[in-house]
Amino acid sequence: MNHTRRFILTCAAAVLVSSCSTLKLDRVDFGWPVESAVTVNNANIFEDVRYSVTGGVSALAMEEFQDSTALKGANLRLIRSSEGYYFVTGPRFKHVYVFSPGKASLSLTSAIAVSETGLKNPAFNQRAPFVELVDGEGFHRLLSSDDIVEVKK
Amino acid sequence: MKLLLKEIVLVLAIVSAAVAQQSDYAVKKDFEDRYRTLAGRIDSATTIQELDSLKGAIVTLENDFAAHQAFLDKALYPTTLAESVAKLRSHEVLTYDRVYLIRTQGIRMSELEERIALITSRLDSLTTQRDQLFGELQENRKSLNALRDAVKRLSANLQAKDRLVFALADSIFLPYGKDLSQLADVHKEAVAQRIEKANVVTRVYEIAADNVRFLDLTKLQGKDFGNLIDQEQSFKSHWSGLKDNMVAVTATTGMLPASQPAKAASAKGAATKGTGRVEKDARADASQQAAHVDSVLAEWQTKLNTTFWSTLQKEFTDAGIGVAPFSDGPSFSASIRTYVATLKANNQDPVPFTDSVWRDKIDKDWREALSKDNMLGKVEYASLDKLVSELNRETVDLKLILYIVGALVLAFIVWFFVFRPKKKTPEPEPQE
Repeated sequence: MNHTRRFILTCAAAVLVSSCSTLKLDRVDFGWPVESAVTVNNANIFEDVRYSVTGGVSALAMEEFQDSTALKGANLRLIRSSEGYYFVTGPRFKHVYVFSPGKASLSLTSAIAVSETGLKNPAFNQRAPFVELVDGEGFHRLLSSDDIVEVKK
Repeated sequence: MKLLLKEIVLVLAIVSAAVAQQSDYAVKKDFEDRYRTLAGRIDSATTIQELDSLKGAIVTLENDFAAHQAFLDKALYPTTLAESVAKLRSHEVLTYDRVYLIRTQGIRMSELEERIALITSRLDSLTTQRDQLFGELQENRKSLNALRDAVKRLSANLQAKDRLVFALADSIFLPYGKDLSQLADVHKEAVAQRIEKANVVTRVYEIAADNVRFLDLTKLQGKDFGNLIDQEQSFKSHWSGLKDNMVAVTATTGMLPASQPAKAASAKGAATKGTGRVEKDARADASQQAAHVDSVLAEWQTKLNTTFWSTLQKEFTDAGIGVAPFSDGPSFSASIRTYVATLKANNQDPVPFTDSVWRDKIDKDWREALSKDNMLGKVEYASLDKLVSELNRETVDLKLILYIVGALVLAFIVWFFVFRPKKKTPEPEPQE
């Protein structure tokens, strides 16, 4: 009797678990072949035309420069990695901000410190599964979603 | 050998390092900038040498970015590196054709444009003059001399417009040679735009419609028709050539003078007092536009024929010659032959017909027009003229015989009474 009850409970649990699991597609590549150079407008919003992405950057400006309006008119570099994370940085930035997409929002995954003095003219390259950050001659970092993977000079 | 290999590997390593240091975005932007610059230089090129050097520049561009092909194929989406370079090459080839054409024909587009502008302006001034002349024609209907003068000037005006409008069309097509179907689409488009800009179809339509109006308002004489028939035939032939050319350039480009059918319709409305309604489709195709002109041309031809034969018929009626009615060459010929046969059969005096009508009117004023191939033709006219002349000759011969016979009788009488040798009466014998 005990065995029978245990079997029935196990089967019921299995059915319950399988019905709750969501459909998942694998081997998805979110990577953009080339970064976007976007300009922040007076409303503190950037707009990328090619990939149809817009977003407010007041919080980012506050985080990096402690001034919510510091990015007005600034040029930002934006790229989406093959894993689906958004990498954002720009001139005078000391960090690369990595975001994961949520409901009408981007949530900070990590802020990777890349320069003590601030970047001059940074650019991202897609180097799946990583993202490459270059900033003029001799500055080259290979980034994962939470850290610097490789430094080249 | 090993040293050379090492050097190559070193160079490649340096180059790849340099490439690796470059931003992908910068690569894309660099490509786009150089592409734009090259396209701009091709656009503004005016010599074949310049274009030859740009051809080399395209090869350099392709080579410079070959290493980034995989990346650029994605980054340039929806196009690819190969497609972009092919597009640039095609642009260069088309420009080369255009520049080559201009150089080899020795004609500068700007000069042609000036010529087109000049002709257009002359046509416009002739149109103003035409309106005045039509007004004069209406006013001068009572005075025969003034009317003839107005007709002459209006006819000259219409002919001048006719010549100019086809000169205008020739100026547009001239640089592109004869075989327009072989032209590149870009050239066809350029021609179609010029045709539209110069309002060629509308102008052609207006001239044909003006001629219809002219025939409606004018009282013509026999000697007027020769010129008018020539003008109509020449116009038809020119239009046929122009129509073929227009269809050749508009068939593939779809560049159609949108405003022209509407303008043509209004011109027709003005000319024929609203008898023709043309559909309002502003983007009618080239053949539709051609059809509008064809229809007014057909109207012109019909009107000219009707006026011609009715005016000719009136010549006979006014002289009291009862020829059967006719409306074209064959029926005219049949009518004259029948009349001549009737005269002969009834032994009627042919002089009023042969001298007063045929010699003084038909042969003097109408021969030129009647001899046109599309009216009666030279051969048939000559045949009719011979027939009528023979009629006259028969009369002449009869009179001549009568005169001769009369003269002979008179001579005989004179001889009989004056010169006839008298009979010698026998002398009486002397009596012994």
